[in-house]
Amino acid sequence: MNVDNDREHPLIPEAREQLTHGLMDRREFIRLATLLGVAASSAYAIAGVTGPAMAGDNLPFPAVDPKAKRGGKLRIGQTVGRMHDPATYAWNEMSNQTRPMLEYLTMVGPDNVVRPMLVDWWKPSADLKTWILHVRPGVMWHNGDELTADHVAWNIRRWADPALGSSNLGLSTFVALTELTGAKDAKGKALRRQLPNGVEVLDRHTLRLNLSQPVLSVAEDCGEYCTLVLHPSFVAPLSKHPIGTGPYTLAELRVGERCILKRITHMTNGQPFHYWGGEVFLDEIHFYNYTLENATAALASGSVDATYELTVEQLELAQSLPGVQILSVPTAQTLCCRMQVDVKPFDDIRVRRAIVKAADNAAIKQLVFGDHGQVANNCHVAPIHPECFPLPPVVRDVAGAKRLLKEAGYAHGLDVTISVGNNDGPWQQAVCEALRDQVKEAGINLSVDVMPEQRFWEVWNKVPFGATSWAHRPLGTMALAQAYRSGASWNETHYSDPAFDQALSEAEASINVAERKIKMQKVEQILQDAALMVQPFWRPVFSLASSRVHGYQPHPARQIQLNKVWMS
Amino acid sequence: MRHLVIRRVIQTLLIMLTVSALLFAVFDSDQFRKKIAVAELGNFGAATLSDSDYQAWIVSKGLDQSFPARYVTWLNHVVHGDLGVSIEKDVAVSTLLKESLSSTAVLAFYVFLIMIPVSLMLGVLAGMKEGSILDRVISVIAVFTTSIPQIATAALLTVVLALGLRWVPTKSAMIDGFSFRELLLPLLTILIYEIGYLVRMTRSAMADVMSSQYIRTALLKGLPYRQVVLKHALRNALVVPVTLILLELTGLLSQVVVVEVFFQYHGFGRMLFDAANFGDIQVIQAATLVAVCVAVASQLLSDIAYVLLNPRLRVA
Amino acid sequence: MNALIQQTREHRRSWMTPAQLIGALLLIVWVPLMAYVMFHQALGIAAPYVLLPSVPAVLALYVMAIYHWRESWVAVLGVTLVCFWLLVAVTVPYLPLLDPNKPLVPLALPGALKHGMSFMLGSDMRGRDVLSRTLWGCQRVLVWGITATSVAYVVGVGLGLIGGYLSGWWDEAVTFVGNVLLSFPVMVLFILVLNVLGQSGFNIIIAVTFSSAPIIMRIVRGLAMQEKSRDYIQAAQTRGESALWIMVMELLPNIRGPLIVDACLRLGYTTVAITTLTFLGLGLQPPDPDWGLMIKEAAPVALLWKYSYMLLVPSLAVTSLILGFNLTADGLREMSQRD
Repeated sequence: MNVDNDREHPLIPEAREQLTHGLMDRREFIRLATLLGVAASSAYAIAGVTGPAMAGDNLPFPAVDPKAKRGGKLRIGQTVGRMHDPATYAWNEMSNQTRPMLEYLTMVGPDNVVRPMLVDWWKPSADLKTWILHVRPGVMWHNGDELTADHVAWNIRRWADPALGSSNLGLSTFVALTELTGAKDAKGKALRRQLPNGVEVLDRHTLRLNLSQPVLSVAEDCGEYCTLVLHPSFVAPLSKHPIGTGPYTLAELRVGERCILKRITHMTNGQPFHYWGGEVFLDEIHFYNYTLENATAALASGSVDATYELTVEQLELAQSLPGVQILSVPTAQTLCCRMQVDVKPFDDIRVRRAIVKAADNAAIKQLVFGDHGQVANNCHVAPIHPECFPLPPVVRDVAGAKRLLKEAGYAHGLDVTISVGNNDGPWQQAVCEALRDQVKEAGINLSVDVMPEQRFWEVWNKVPFGATSWAHRPLGTMALAQAYRSGASWNETHYSDPAFDQALSEAEASINVAERKIKMQKVEQILQDAALMVQPFWRPVFSLASSRVHGYQPHPARQIQLNKVWMS
Repeated sequence: MRHLVIRRVIQTLLIMLTVSALLFAVFDSDQFRKKIAVAELGNFGAATLSDSDYQAWIVSKGLDQSFPARYVTWLNHVVHGDLGVSIEKDVAVSTLLKESLSSTAVLAFYVFLIMIPVSLMLGVLAGMKEGSILDRVISVIAVFTTSIPQIATAALLTVVLALGLRWVPTKSAMIDGFSFRELLLPLLTILIYEIGYLVRMTRSAMADVMSSQYIRTALLKGLPYRQVVLKHALRNALVVPVTLILLELTGLLSQVVVVEVFFQYHGFGRMLFDAANFGDIQVIQAATLVAVCVAVASQLLSDIAYVLLNPRLRVA
Repeated sequence: MNALIQQTREHRRSWMTPAQLIGALLLIVWVPLMAYVMFHQALGIAAPYVLLPSVPAVLALYVMAIYHWRESWVAVLGVTLVCFWLLVAVTVPYLPLLDPNKPLVPLALPGALKHGMSFMLGSDMRGRDVLSRTLWGCQRVLVWGITATSVAYVVGVGLGLIGGYLSGWWDEAVTFVGNVLLSFPVMVLFILVLNVLGQSGFNIIIAVTFSSAPIIMRIVRGLAMQEKSRDYIQAAQTRGESALWIMVMELLPNIRGPLIVDACLRLGYTTVAITTLTFLGLGLQPPDPDWGLMIKEAAPVALLWKYSYMLLVPSLAVTSLILGFNLTADGLREMSQRD
């Protein structure tokens, strides 16, 4: 499906202009055009490059491999969690188990480009405050109902309901569907309520979002891991009454053990089921509970065919395994060794700057990930983000760090402790240890407090100095809004700077890329100058699959998508 | 004899009661209750749980009553088999327990099946002639195998049998149903320690008997060695090992935690470990109660067996 | 064993009995080690020096032990293994080793010479020297193991003396508490205690005390009951000594033989417990090395024959220490039976 002109966003022609004049590179144009509603294939075409082959026009799935064979089961090793309520899933693995069954409104591909899924097009207004979403016609639920705009509206209203407590309320789109009530809860947190007219159903397949502030990331937000679309008859737990739109349904779930999904042939009303997304190949998808440490061993002895993730420590081992493919993808996943700006001694910016100056980001990356991954700039915007302004690399300056420490009154050394939970793997601890060895040269004695994962999650935003792992987000502004805006829900540094908030809001509201990049420069620079964190790198994500598995693509947000995967 | 058993049964019941009260009291705090409330009310985290919702939930659950009243209600549920629901797994705790205990029972069955004949035989052989070469060899090996922690055994067995020789898979999740090949590593890990331990105990019991006055006399009287050993010595020497084997039921419940976690075997130990890590309170309580039940029962059985088997005590 | 006791009696009049000497030496080893491992930060600039007096103390203990126990090769072998690790624990800061926590060269095979550094036992997946980590690792295992066992002993012996000597209601109460604790399978008790109290070295001490003290109590109680009717106790009672004095100064020294054997065994069990708990992630927390942690970290990585040294080295280290404790106990028991 092509985008006809009356649905094209007014900024697209302008962007096309910038592209022709070299003000915008092709990748940026594609990213911008897709998030403003141009189909990814068209965007690639306008930009004059060949995009990744897709299964069909306006389909989010990769092209069908002509050699693909139907049948077989794929066994994946990952933690198997409960499937209670997709909107309140606590970890990504749960959504992996659900994804063959329930689907998103949009899908962010392995190339970090968003594509239409259950909505087949979207269109924002010029001020980015009103978005039209068009629900894909002909999508059937497993019970025989057709997916309508009413169903989608029910889901969006649910995500934006503060009473549900979904982590989706950390996403700008759904925040913009609420307003402050003016009241505060017992802990002093401002209470929010849903906008009365935030989600409007226009007709059977069209709905309109009336947002309280401009949001650029509506399409991306609708593909985040907790936004799986449920049938309005949903009652938790999902595992008891699964109704979805995907090609598979749940056959068996044993938490901590296995999750088995089988292909749907007939709907519950007896009619044959036609999947909207074309052909799927696997008969069954099995998830078996192997933790990160055990999954590789399980694959090595043939108990599973693919794994959720390969830790970097196991890379060398995996390379020596026969008949195994190692897959990797660049991501915006990172570790922020961040300091709280209102706790001694980090309330003194000279101390924070000294720590940042004493660290050598490139050396930490080299030590932990070797030649993989990208060096980061302590400002939490990744090169893979379309709006990233490339700041010059941060330079290590031990003498400068010592000078700053002396000025701050720590001429004879400074003792600090960093807390780390290793929730994404022991490499997190390795980063802290490398940091410890580096800052030692500036006279800072850093002790590393390694906590059990469970305990770390109880204190992650309370410790004065902690290493928090941040997941991938398709846009850079998404993480900045969640973590560094004054009073944001996950503002773990307690950073609050009106100038930063202002700059971020301006960047978020601007679509003109040349302009937005310059605005992002200001945002990134303010954050970097505030010396909130040592954020050494963007890590790659690795996963493993047996060579019998075809089309298993690693995803920057570790979302497993299996529609076109086949087994030989 | 009957008096002794009755006394022990009463003691056992008292212990169970105390343990249940302890277990209830430990997890009867606001922190743990909130966790259950959050799970039942379907919220994302304790932070989003409003105070009024929580209070209403407490009243609806009858948790606003006094401590003894709450304990009696809870105990009543437990005694009637209502062990609650796992908040991690959305399953009734009793179902979970049934499945995990049966997996562990399979493992335990093979452990006992192999351990009892092997270790009794080796122990008797070693103890028969104290100080002989055979005794020395068996004793040294037994001391060595009881000195390797199970994590080390498990790791070494994995390296040699699964990765070096590729005889067995590295993990024992049994994803395609029961398979003896997958059971082998956990089984061997437990056996290596258990056999060593039981051999040492049997050996010392046998050695004690062989050096006792009546066996020496019997041998001096010219009775054939074979007959003395088989008819007189064995009977007395096996009293202690048999009681120990019964007690090993308890030891096994400890060991399966490490072994099942290491090999990802879905049994009782792993369930308890996962529940403890997740803070799945009702599963922890139920699993501990079951473990304690098994332990006190095995202690009781072993006491009774000791009385029954020991001729001197039986007469008295 | 009896040789030791006899010696004690012969030397009663000298300024320090051998038993007191051994006690003093043990303290000189253990107190600095404990301070070094548990309260390293508090020691400040004194940290590098506190272990110096422990070195001769370990050597003196070793010489005394092999002299007294020379008749049992089992005990000598056992005590040699234990003293080897004790010596490593007190000298490791002074040995020319690579930094145990510093990533240098990942996955260097044993014997490799890379960047001018020699990795005799190889390096782990993060590039840390396995030899150095193994030697440093024994500090944590020994210190926490010995401390936990000692605390369990103080509690267990105290309760056992109360139960055995005072009898009556005291005995009933103490025995019942012991029975309740013993009705938990050990690992279940550990998991419960460490989850309710949180995961730290000090809570391991509590957990070990909960599981070991009741057994020690039973042993002491039995011995005390036997010993209670002896003449010397009755003499002391007639002299009008207080119950506390009789229990600690008269009774305890006379039942220490079997207790020393049990203590050796129990040190072995505690070592197993500590490494296992670290492996399960319930015990001591990284980054400082200990053997359980090394096995935990290596288990997912050392899945190829050529990397198995990462598992092999810490496994053998912990086995040799436990073997040392077990052999010592066996040797002592054998000697006490022979006399």
